[in-house]
Amino acid sequence: MTFNINVAIPDPTVDRSAYRAHARQWLAANLPAFMRADSPEYRSPSLDECRDWEEAMYRAGLAGMTWPKQYGGYGLTLREHLAVNKEIGALMMPESVGSVGKELAGPIIMAVGTEEQKQDFLPNILAMKKYWCQGFSEPEAGSDLVRLRTRAVQEGDSWRINGQKIWTSGAMKADYCLLLTRTGTVADKYKGLLMFAVPMDTPGIRVVPIKSIDGKESFAEVFFDDVVVPDSARLGAPDEGWSAAIRVLSIERATNRMYRPWRFEAELKMLVAAFKSDPELKHVLEDGYYQRRIGQIATEIDGLKGLIEQAVEQMAGGAPIGARGSLNKLFWSETHQAFAGFAYELVSQIKPSASPVALRAKQHFTNAYLFARAESIYAGVSEVQLDIIAQRILNLPKDL
Amino acid sequence: MSDDSLRPEDFAEAAGAAVADTEGKSFAEKTAVLAGNGLFGVTVSEEQGGLGLDLSFAIPIVGVAGKLQLRYPLVEQMLVAGALADHEIGAAIIAGEKTVAIAWQGTLEDRVATHATFATDADYVLVASGDGAALLDASSVKADADPSLDPEYPQYNLDLSGAQTIATLSAEEFASLKRQAKVLYGAFAAGAGEGAMDRAATHTVGRVQFGRPLSAKQTVRHTMARMKLLTETSFAGLQRAIADDEYGNARSVDTAFAGAVSNACFIVEKAIHLHGGMGFTWELPLHYSLRDVRKIDAAFSTGSEIQSIGRAFIAAA
Repeated sequence: MTFNINVAIPDPTVDRSAYRAHARQWLAANLPAFMRADSPEYRSPSLDECRDWEEAMYRAGLAGMTWPKQYGGYGLTLREHLAVNKEIGALMMPESVGSVGKELAGPIIMAVGTEEQKQDFLPNILAMKKYWCQGFSEPEAGSDLVRLRTRAVQEGDSWRINGQKIWTSGAMKADYCLLLTRTGTVADKYKGLLMFAVPMDTPGIRVVPIKSIDGKESFAEVFFDDVVVPDSARLGAPDEGWSAAIRVLSIERATNRMYRPWRFEAELKMLVAAFKSDPELKHVLEDGYYQRRIGQIATEIDGLKGLIEQAVEQMAGGAPIGARGSLNKLFWSETHQAFAGFAYELVSQIKPSASPVALRAKQHFTNAYLFARAESIYAGVSEVQLDIIAQRILNLPKDL
Repeated sequence: MSDDSLRPEDFAEAAGAAVADTEGKSFAEKTAVLAGNGLFGVTVSEEQGGLGLDLSFAIPIVGVAGKLQLRYPLVEQMLVAGALADHEIGAAIIAGEKTVAIAWQGTLEDRVATHATFATDADYVLVASGDGAALLDASSVKADADPSLDPEYPQYNLDLSGAQTIATLSAEEFASLKRQAKVLYGAFAAGAGEGAMDRAATHTVGRVQFGRPLSAKQTVRHTMARMKLLTETSFAGLQRAIADDEYGNARSVDTAFAGAVSNACFIVEKAIHLHGGMGFTWELPLHYSLRDVRKIDAAFSTGSEIQSIGRAFIAAA
């Protein structure tokens, strides 16, 4: 598996269309067929293969677009980030295995980290040299982070950490955990929350994988028993760091995996192409019910594109994103969940004798349907997003 | 207009004031107010007597008309004024001297056209003809009201047997007009939904049941949040649809239109529901928005529009 990483990256400030064409052409030319979920040659890529692919993308200028140059980024704007993401979405490539680092840890470190931490962590995230996991949720503190109990106690120049995290995506492969703790008790609510960058090989950390509905073990419980880290692992001061992180998170909710609607569109094309590929299945697409459902999904995908492009323009113009990220999160998760349900309804009609493309689609959309159960839960459950919209955008009072 | 500092929302505010000023006025008086504020020529060039703005400005203007429940064919005036901008009729419409209705179904050749609102108030009626359209003298057309959906502002069925053609639109001009119609009616529907949502928000905040305002109840809050989400999606989708795609080509506006209309139906219906029994009465004005949105839905057969979108997607995939 070799990639062409010695390419001249066009300057988007000089020629935006050349930049976009570079992204489109490089991705199409370099993405291996076995990594394309719509290819009959597809097989599940290994972690190392995904890492190599993402590193090559970065070298080709297709990751870290908005990160400052001094930390390994390309110093561009959200508009270029969006342009690249449209091309990423248009191809059925694997999801990033470094997304926690790129979309969560990196932006938070940039906002609250020391200069040494930035130099230390950020370039390695983009170059796919270090993986991160997110240690926020706990057994009794999922969407309601105020109830988190994992405690950090200062002992001279170090901190002793005790507690448990859960739903920690990628914990088994992670080099670092972006760990949220508290210095006091649950009664302190949002006071005393403190973040750390904890090396996962620190003594006292135990990772117990959780088998999810799709049969994978992509997240885990993580136990912290008398884990001692130096003060240099702290990200920001107590309270300060977390409030800055909240601001970062609201932006991230609006901008992470911006490629989604374009990916959903690629998935819908894959689904239709699968049925068109097989003479026995073709007639299904002549059914008005399925035509309307496909039209409805295409309509919702275009609406989601509108929401994302509007958010990018607003942020590029300097407007705060505030709670609007909740609109995007709610819409993409429910749109895709409904789409996955519809797709499963369709592919369940595919027989073992069907075309290779159709069989590939059956496998893909069966997995997608199962995985989509998580989409209305992770990154803030739908009910929390609805509450945020009601409270912070519509300003609906909760009492007299 | 060359002033880059102008923002669409600023125009919407001014348009809102003009629309509010039409309250309680006759058709002719409304025409004078709206024309006097330049609203019919928003997208017509300044040389031709318009404001020289693009559709991105027209969307919030029409949106606020929907929000404030303007019962007047504003979209029709804007569309035909734009299509006939180089004709004296276009200038007359911009000036408010002449008015126009549009029959969205049927053809001149069939001698029957339907789904025309305000056909008996207007001077002209635009009807499909051949590959294009014909502008007819409204007095030469026999109009029968179909009051089933809206007894106050009914849709009219038109007998075109003796119709006199005043002007014509080429296939290209009519296609352009229909594309703009979808954008503007989509905006009107989205605005109608937004207005209904705002009314529902005010009602749920003030209405106390079981010791708490309705807005305190989670199911009500979540319904309102969904209404807000769909409102935002509709306007964002419409603005996106009128911008060229990444390769400089015009986008289809079909999904944005269909989405805006179906979202508006959901929002207005929910707003009526959230008002309880009052929502079902004539006293509360929400029913006007429901009628207006459903008239658009019927005129453009949004259900089959969505099926067409699906068919087109299948053909292209």
